[in-house]
Amino acid sequence: MKLFFSRFWLTLAFLAVLMATSFSVVAVHAEAPSGPVYALQIDGLACPFCAFGIEKQLKKIEGVVSTSVDIKDGVVTVVMERDATLDEAAAKKAVEAAGFTLRGFERKEAGE
Amino acid sequence: MIRSLSVLTSGLWLMLVVASTAQAAPQTFNTALPVAQGEFVFRQQFFHLTAGDGELNPADRDVDVRGGVSVLGYGVNGNFVLFGVVPYLNKRLEITTPGGDRITRRTNGIGDARLFGRYTVYRDDARGRTFRIAPFGGVETPTGDNEDRDSLGVLPPTLQRGSGSWDPFGGVIVTYQKLAYQLDVATSYKINTEANEFEFGDEARLDASFQYRIWPRKIDSGVPGFLYAVIESNLIHRGNNAIGGLADHDSGGTTLYIAPGLQYVTKRWVVEGIVQLPAVQSLNGMALEDHFTVRAGFRINF
Repeated sequence: MKLFFSRFWLTLAFLAVLMATSFSVVAVHAEAPSGPVYALQIDGLACPFCAFGIEKQLKKIEGVVSTSVDIKDGVVTVVMERDATLDEAAAKKAVEAAGFTLRGFERKEAGE
Repeated sequence: MIRSLSVLTSGLWLMLVVASTAQAAPQTFNTALPVAQGEFVFRQQFFHLTAGDGELNPADRDVDVRGGVSVLGYGVNGNFVLFGVVPYLNKRLEITTPGGDRITRRTNGIGDARLFGRYTVYRDDARGRTFRIAPFGGVETPTGDNEDRDSLGVLPPTLQRGSGSWDPFGGVIVTYQKLAYQLDVATSYKINTEANEFEFGDEARLDASFQYRIWPRKIDSGVPGFLYAVIESNLIHRGNNAIGGLADHDSGGTTLYIAPGLQYVTKRWVVEGIVQLPAVQSLNGMALEDHFTVRAGFRINF
């Protein structure tokens, strides 16, 4: 029983470290230089836990600086490096790899 | 000897694990939601189960099982996911012998691990909702000790942590998810095979889960955490166990569980808890009756 509870607290500590690490990763991305911004309409996205997989797949694309999800509208905003562009086919492939459907792809103009 | 011990503990092989989902979804069975390609989802669930006899059985069995179930899901691609499930079990049985002595027998350690795959064969996505159908299939492997012993000798098969057999299973899951709620329904069948002249009865299940978002009531921008109220049901039928090829008529039967719970889901992690209560138990002979099972745990994306 003692062993059971000590493992429980160890697990909680591990979770806390993991969450703290995820926040610092977000901060690093925010500091990177940014270029074009794209809005992707994702179909099938209906819970927070699934959003993580989409972001991870998109971040694997070369030139992606950061991503942010608006779950209510099903829109993922992708910020690219300066002088980089996001290829629609690559975005579609990434969204499919996450198990979802890319419905819309739009490059946003500055200030939009 | 094997037969007499088994009769004393018949029906002891309870619904211990099988909660093998690793997504934001039901807590007592799986879902059809995806795991992204090349990514892992880990789930740890702790549980406490109690069961016992009705008033008519002089053996007055009292069973207490505590433990954990670790699940790792890996996305092969957007449609295909591999799962590994490893239970850790701490099982205790108190029983009155025919001689009138009250004895306790126990075991603890790794149980039988499960390996299975799930493939999404149908997907209908729209803005803020998804509908998926995903068959799954795999095998329960004999990783748990099935020859554990105490000072009284070898434990009966139903008290062992493992069955000693390779048991295939399969089924299909249907999931409908919107931002406000999620509905999952699954049906499955597990074929238990013989080991050490003992064979657990096959198991058929029909599971359902409804999760309703109770907070936030209104979603603003970004990805807020969702708090769901959960109600699940599990209809489980088990066949008779067989000892040396002969059916044990004090084992198996049908049970309907109703399980209310809560679940808090964020982009990176999920915490959850649920209580499974047997609403209807139609059991064979003197098969053991469930009292309740409490489950609590977390899931993480990484």
